Amino acid sequence: MKRRQFFKTAGGAALLTGSGMSSLLMDLYAFSRQDNLSQVEARFYKKHPNREIECELCPRFCKLGDKERGYCGVRENIGGTYYTLVYGKACSANIDPIEKKPLFHYLPGSSALSIATAGCNVNCKFCQNWEISQVRPEQVTHYDFPPQAVVQSAQKNNCPVIAYTYTEPIIFYEYMYDTSREANKKGIHNAVITGGYINPEPLVELTKVVQAIKVDLKAFSQDFYTSYVRGKLEPILEAIKIISKSKVWMEIVYLVIPTLNDSAQEIRGVSQWLRKEVGPDVPLHFSRFHPMYLVKNLPSTPISTLERAYNIAKDEGLNYVYIGNVPGHRAESTYCPKCGKVVIDRKGYRIEKIELAENRCKNCNTLIPGIWS
Amino acid sequence: MASSQVVIVRGKGVLTQDGKVDQKKLLQMYSRGLQLIHDSPNPKESLRRLFKADDRVGIKINTIGGRKISTRPEASQSLANLLIEGGIPERGIIIWDRTNRELREAGYRLNMNRSTLKVLGTDTNGVDYNYDLVAHLNIGSRFSRIQTDTITASISLAILKDHGMAGITAGMKNYFGAIHNPNKYHDTNCDPYVAELFETSPIKEKHRLSILDCLVVQYNGGPAYHAHWAKKYEALVFSLDPVAADFTGWQIIERLRAQGGLPSLKEENREPKYLQTAVKMGLGKASAREIKIIEEEI
Repeated sequence: MKRRQFFKTAGGAALLTGSGMSSLLMDLYAFSRQDNLSQVEARFYKKHPNREIECELCPRFCKLGDKERGYCGVRENIGGTYYTLVYGKACSANIDPIEKKPLFHYLPGSSALSIATAGCNVNCKFCQNWEISQVRPEQVTHYDFPPQAVVQSAQKNNCPVIAYTYTEPIIFYEYMYDTSREANKKGIHNAVITGGYINPEPLVELTKVVQAIKVDLKAFSQDFYTSYVRGKLEPILEAIKIISKSKVWMEIVYLVIPTLNDSAQEIRGVSQWLRKEVGPDVPLHFSRFHPMYLVKNLPSTPISTLERAYNIAKDEGLNYVYIGNVPGHRAESTYCPKCGKVVIDRKGYRIEKIELAENRCKNCNTLIPGIWS
Repeated sequence: MASSQVVIVRGKGVLTQDGKVDQKKLLQMYSRGLQLIHDSPNPKESLRRLFKADDRVGIKINTIGGRKISTRPEASQSLANLLIEGGIPERGIIIWDRTNRELREAGYRLNMNRSTLKVLGTDTNGVDYNYDLVAHLNIGSRFSRIQTDTITASISLAILKDHGMAGITAGMKNYFGAIHNPNKYHDTNCDPYVAELFETSPIKEKHRLSILDCLVVQYNGGPAYHAHWAKKYEALVFSLDPVAADFTGWQIIERLRAQGGLPSLKEENREPKYLQTAVKMGLGKASAREIKIIEEEI
């Protein structure tokens, strides 16, 4: 369907927001509403006898017979070959401030062309994007948005970064990887917003083509991961260690959910672990939970709980701790760990002031880690 | 403890040499099976006990396996014909599954005409999944609007197959095709998800009858078709107890596996664990001593 036809039949841009789609897609050089899915051979899987396969992309290691899909819902065994059904099939595309991801030590104030396909390899009961993450690709409107078109769109919209986000980009690995390679050729960065549920081999390969990864560490207990995420904690900790040893910039988000993962003991545990395994300079964001999806019986996180978590992490020696989803809170800003002065002043997603001289505090010349330009 | 009853009707020759279905024989098998489940004088009487005349009856079939190993169109049509004879208006019957593509690939001819028997998938324009999530224990799903809104009573008419993860796929797991996210429920041998899904109100409150299409049984390598593990079995299994129906299906698969020299599902650590979960939830019986089997050959 041509663009003009689309507007005629769909009634224009207003309808594009239905599945998380912004007016951004109006800018695509060609887009169409696709009922058909992609059939691009997936990477990281093993073939077994009798047309069975074993996916090796994530720690689930789905073993699938012919005609079956993985847990993610977007990779299918068709006749003994494993395919991704979402290559170049974006269901969401927006231009976001990089602070929304959140990435605070990474190109502050820049815009990120942010894309997603349907699907996810976990099932968080508190998912805020479940309408696109917990569905199969044929259940949401999706659009042709191949890697080259994504990069062109980023250039056209002055976005120095492409972010793979909203759902779980690991499940559209091939699409993300190829788009990142295309972007790198044009000097555009790539940022991955992920739960970190990925096996070492594909992760190591991914770190060679992307520049930033934000990991949602959803708790620091296996019980929580079993009950509320449907995954395992250990592989995620392993992924964080792998990323920390690569050249990729990493930040961690911890969504604090009242009564479920907010004990002082758990917050102290995660802070100590991060300091020991990654170092004191990894930014840690404590985000505020709001009732969502299947967890509607709990209140939003009290600010005092977030502040307690903040103080514990600082006590444990982490230099860059933030409070998220609380616009206007002083802990949205970056402070120099040596002199205590504000080096980046934020209000919500807006940058008010940057007090850095290149990568150092203007006041005391302390090095502030990050990718600043 | 009262026992559950399962009826197995064998129909030698219901599949002809060229793989076609002897429709007359199939209809006889249905008639006898329906008669026996209520020990009624005729199938109409049984149907009258199961359905009201103004019920809208969904026949949920399983077509993921393509033409070779799905609920056969002849099996669905014969059942629909009996329902019509039993007093359910043609317009009140829907043969359905999740997608029109899978229905077509399994040999079904789609029919969306409101005034007649309908054959359609949830992805038909204007159908879709209900926007509201149904949350129950470990289940959080959107249900097909056919299940939630259109029908008032349901028959699970499933093909009996081996299943790599669940052990078997039969009448209860057939309802995975009624939700938008079945891929989320295949962990740990699909247990407890098969039982928990069945216990959700859109399923439990409408399910009336389980029938297993065992004309050909895929006893290994499922859910896809593998000719060398597909056995002509020429039977239909009927039960008002969904757990007992599936338990009986499991026993059939185990017998065929043994005959084929294969290890049991238990030995492969994929016996259908969901059955015991279903028993604990009070959904039915899953032990030989609590199930009365009536087997007849036509």
